[in-house]
Amino acid sequence: MKSFFRMSYPYCLWIGVFIVAPMLMIFLYAITNTGNSTLTFQFTLDNFARFIRDPDFIRILLTSLRIALLTTVVCLLIGYPAALFIANLPDRKQTFMILLMTLPMWINMVLKTYAWRGILLNFDFSSEFKVFIGMVYDFLPFMIIQIHTAIAKLDPNLLIAAHDLGANNVKSFLKVTLPLSVPGIISGITLVFLPAVSSFFIPRMLGNGEVILIGNLIELCFKKTGDWNFGSAISLIMALIIITAMWATRKLDRSAEED
Amino acid sequence: MSKKLISALLIICLVCLPLFALADGTLNVFNYGEYIDDEVIYNFEKEFGVRVNYSLNSNPEEMYTKLQTGVSYDVVVTSDYMIDRLIKEERILPLDKEIVTNLDQISDTMKGLYFDPDNTYSAPYLWQNVVLCYDTTKIDPAKVEDKGWEILLDPELDGHAFIYDSPRDVFMMAFKALGYSMNTDNPDELQEAYDWLVKMKQAIHPSFVTDEMIDGMAQGEKWIAMMYSGDAAYASMENEKLAVWAPTQGTNIAIDCMFIPSNAANPELANEFINYVLDYDNSMMITVETCYTSPNAKVLEDVTAPGGEFDGVEGYLPRMGYEKDEIYQYVKLLQNETPELLIKVQMQ
Repeated sequence: MKSFFRMSYPYCLWIGVFIVAPMLMIFLYAITNTGNSTLTFQFTLDNFARFIRDPDFIRILLTSLRIALLTTVVCLLIGYPAALFIANLPDRKQTFMILLMTLPMWINMVLKTYAWRGILLNFDFSSEFKVFIGMVYDFLPFMIIQIHTAIAKLDPNLLIAAHDLGANNVKSFLKVTLPLSVPGIISGITLVFLPAVSSFFIPRMLGNGEVILIGNLIELCFKKTGDWNFGSAISLIMALIIITAMWATRKLDRSAEED
Repeated sequence: MSKKLISALLIICLVCLPLFALADGTLNVFNYGEYIDDEVIYNFEKEFGVRVNYSLNSNPEEMYTKLQTGVSYDVVVTSDYMIDRLIKEERILPLDKEIVTNLDQISDTMKGLYFDPDNTYSAPYLWQNVVLCYDTTKIDPAKVEDKGWEILLDPELDGHAFIYDSPRDVFMMAFKALGYSMNTDNPDELQEAYDWLVKMKQAIHPSFVTDEMIDGMAQGEKWIAMMYSGDAAYASMENEKLAVWAPTQGTNIAIDCMFIPSNAANPELANEFINYVLDYDNSMMITVETCYTSPNAKVLEDVTAPGGEFDGVEGYLPRMGYEKDEIYQYVKLLQNETPELLIKVQMQ
């Protein structure tokens, strides 16, 4: 056990340098008020206040959450039946189907989104709907793979036992398969919701410059206005919302397990 | 054991990779995308026996933020008002006039600009203005020429327009339409320009994009675009239905220049590169590839002469000497406020 512990040192170092330190810097930027070249700075909460007081920014936040939530729900609705279908196939076909699912992920997301831009050009959809389509397409494989893994792990004897005890297909699904695949659903939701809510590339490519999401606002602060303090504050607000959402889903997961 | 060794070696290689890039004969160049002929870079590498590290940015603000973080570049190409700012902030090295002798070839109008009267710090790279590029089969030319920027308030164009997604340029258009200077530092005029843009957004719901509009116009995706003259020249060479018009309310003259940042690692090679790019042959290659206007007097004369590459191409040669056209200056109010205001316009 001890020797295994040692093997985690490189990872700890990685976390320290590339995750913890930047997080601390974001925090520091968010609660101070001068640019990045000067050494004098003051602690302030103005950056947060500026975000919360501006109705336009709140609207951007709500749009981001709405699109991400919708993407997650639709991915779940499409992804769950697909995963269930794949998991019920014979082993060799399963491997093939999963390969098919992951195939698009071999291609860079930028290219795929660019292709969608061309396809959607010919349709008279609203910009927001185009962004939504792009997101569902890009993030769906994450959902399917997570749920498939959970269902494939299921002991088939449990279903046989359920049938022996008189449960029909619907009942055995509701009482056995669904509850036992909840961990897969939870990680699927996490893997879809997180990139969807912070995406800035998809709205920029597909949104015709009309769909501004929180990711675009953060990008603007760092790339165009150079206002790192404000950008960091928005990132922190976002992180807070995401952590709360994850905490809530975990909690849901646990109460489902207890049932 | 051996596995450990291999992974250790791999990690060392990974860590050291960036260090190789810092080796002696390397030149770090920072430019806009689609803004050079790659051949020029290869030739320079061959001729001087060095490696050119060529990286891209999409606007002056992004370039400035990158410099701010302490990244070292040897040659940077950026726009007039940003050079104005960098000179004032003393972040630019003077050019070595012993090396940069090809400055002589630059046309007089492009030399001695307001921010650098003796070209002590900067050498012009390419120039352009912002124009309206439109499909003559969809919009009557007489109407465009009569209304200028105001045509973008016409609800008939709803869903058929591109606007270049760059805060300074979009606000320039609004200031000009309202008859103000695009270098104003008056917050009331800025507010008026913002209201004008909101009105435009609600009237025509344009697509705010950048380089996508070049192919978009060439393929007839939209009827009208507010775009850079070089892009308009390219698009109109591809699609003969397109016409180019510089509104009489005035527009900007944008001059992109090369400079050497004060933290450059290889200033001598940087001077050589700048001189190389200014040369007739290379200047010619760059202007032909990008369709943007060359500051090299002889090149400009040759490409626009009968039989030249851009003979009769509308939009290649920007309007010069018109009193309502201006060059961007660094204005703190506009620099700070316009990016966020533009986002607010877009989401209306």
